[in-house]
Amino acid sequence: MKSKLILSVSVLAVCLIGTAFIIEQQPKPWPVPDAAAKAVNPVKSNAASIAAGKDLWNTNCASCHGKKGLGDGTKAAQLKTQPADLSTATFQSQSDGSIFYKISEGRGDMPSFKKKLPDAEDIWDLVVFFRTLKK
Amino acid sequence: MQIEPIFNFYTKYVNMEFLPIKTLRILGLLLLTLSTNQLNLRAQDSVAPVKKSYVKNTFEGNYIIDDQSVVLPVQHSLEADIQHRFGIMNNGIHDFFGLYNVTNVRLAVSYTFTKDFQLGIGLIGDRMQTDLNAKFALVRQTKDGSMPVSITFFGNVVVDPRDSIYDNNATFRKTSDHFSYFAQLIFARKISENLSLQVSPSWSHFNSVVGSDGTIVTGTQYDHFAISFSGRYKITSKTSIIANYDLPISTAYGALPNISAGFEFKTSGHDFQLFVGNYGYILPQNNSFYNQNDFNKSQFLLGFNITRLWNP
Repeated sequence: MKSKLILSVSVLAVCLIGTAFIIEQQPKPWPVPDAAAKAVNPVKSNAASIAAGKDLWNTNCASCHGKKGLGDGTKAAQLKTQPADLSTATFQSQSDGSIFYKISEGRGDMPSFKKKLPDAEDIWDLVVFFRTLKK
Repeated sequence: MQIEPIFNFYTKYVNMEFLPIKTLRILGLLLLTLSTNQLNLRAQDSVAPVKKSYVKNTFEGNYIIDDQSVVLPVQHSLEADIQHRFGIMNNGIHDFFGLYNVTNVRLAVSYTFTKDFQLGIGLIGDRMQTDLNAKFALVRQTKDGSMPVSITFFGNVVVDPRDSIYDNNATFRKTSDHFSYFAQLIFARKISENLSLQVSPSWSHFNSVVGSDGTIVTGTQYDHFAISFSGRYKITSKTSIIANYDLPISTAYGALPNISAGFEFKTSGHDFQLFVGNYGYILPQNNSFYNQNDFNKSQFLLGFNITRLWNP
């Protein structure tokens, strides 16, 4: 009886501790204002815009999000939140405007880039490049 | 001896009384007329003006080794700079190719108030000098080719604060003897995504000159002219090869030219440059005028620049 009690408490403790880790891993929902979500990308996807976006990606994004956008950058382990995997269907299902908004505004470990990249065309170029990361 | 405040320098040397009142009134009326005409044109013109698109990242940051680049950081950027120069490498392993002999260090900060205007201040180990500098982007190269080059002005005022009490060689007679000045026009073109080149004529003015024995040669104002050629070639999106050739045009004091080359590594917030060259003074007028390291005698030294940018 006593051993069963100890076993039950141990299993419960492990589950509780495990739940804490699971909750930490799941990203919180990131609502985007309607107006921002509906914004249309003025930059056409072509070799030039993809190259420009890739250049910005390598300098500003790859250290956290990884070279292929899988969220496995060299700095990822130091962050409280896991950088997004940009290749997933979930991420790619967002509108261009939503992605633009999130790059501009940032949240938590994700910095805001609207001051570092004040030219909106740069951020739109990144959005164009992000579409090429899709699996 | 007390150093005159910079404010007193400007009131002494920039005398607004030279502009007569009548001329100012005429200029004012002219400006008003021109601005009114501009307003009328806008009212009549129903076509939206085409927004110009400018080339970006002609260079990665403010510095190309010892020279200023044509670019300014984005508006409202705060930049901190650390610059080190080591001893010449000719002593080989005895001082580990100059690495044990740190000859000069500069710590500096600058702030970009607008997208076209930057102010900075720096402290440098060589003769305990302080520099106040300004950079103006005058013209930017456009993507459509209507403006084929970017043009930027860079200038500084440097004070050597040494006093005869602390340094027997520093026998400045007048306050103004402590100052030197530098002005440069930088012309650059981004030729391709990977290659950018620039040429920069410069003028340096010294209110006094340091002789070869280290004493101040007072009463000897000197104007010095030089020209610099710089380039950057990107080998990856974050790594570039950078190089300079700096040539004194004035030769009265026997200044020697400089060849420098190295690598630049760019991240989101940092810019690292590792290089070899002949220049060791860091401040442009001192490099241009005092350099005696001869590349024909392989008198090269190692150096690095680190810059960090914040966008508060």
